[in-house]
Amino acid sequence: MQAMAQTTCTKNKKQGEITIRTSRFGEMSIDPEKIITMTSPFLGFSGSKRFVVKPHGKKSPFFWLQSLDEPKLAFVCIQADILVPQYQPEISNLIRLELQASPQQALDILLVLTIPKDNIEGMTANLMGPVAINPQKRLAKQVLQDPVSYDACWPVFTQDTAE
Amino acid sequence: MLILARKPGEAIAIGDGIKIRVLEIKGGQVKIGIEAPAEVMVHREEIYLRIVEENIRAAAEAPADLSSLVSVFGDDKTRNKPPLTGGR
Repeated sequence: MQAMAQTTCTKNKKQGEITIRTSRFGEMSIDPEKIITMTSPFLGFSGSKRFVVKPHGKKSPFFWLQSLDEPKLAFVCIQADILVPQYQPEISNLIRLELQASPQQALDILLVLTIPKDNIEGMTANLMGPVAINPQKRLAKQVLQDPVSYDACWPVFTQDTAE
Repeated sequence: MLILARKPGEAIAIGDGIKIRVLEIKGGQVKIGIEAPAEVMVHREEIYLRIVEENIRAAAEAPADLSSLVSVFGDDKTRNKPPLTGGR
């Protein structure tokens, strides 16, 4: 039996948490206050507007962005400055406006990782489509960058060690 | 598909908020000006498709268990350094 077409959100008694159903993690209890809303969805996934951040662990730099709208959809992400300190994506004022952020306000920049199943060291980061999050309003958007400046599948590890 | 012929300087209006104007035709290339509301995303198609493709790959391959990833990642000397533009 498979029921993955729908995400069910049921009210939980304790502290207003809601339970969501996911393909990878089964049922998860989440605080509705922590839901991140995409001002425009990930390209290719127009049905998913709401996500939660699921950290991988205290010592791990990785986390998932798990969709609330599609149980199967989760991206593995990392904070951009941890992976690529010199990375400076362009976030225009219009996009800041869309995220309800002031021109000075710091935004979180996440990179979506593609991790080949049988070859972890072939992992790549999408520098062309970083995700900007306004942590105060919990609004997010994938902000496309100039392809001349940034690669959509930038290898995280050097070629000679990936073997 | 609706097909319209336009000369340089002429435009097409889509709905109330979007205008697409042919600015210049030179050497097999057309320069196009686009006016659209801020909330309408405008991208070159190949960039748009590239991101769609990469998002789909990332979502399809995202593992549920990342523990093996942390050990690989901890080894800093194997980590890539610039440039930020790559092969594709």
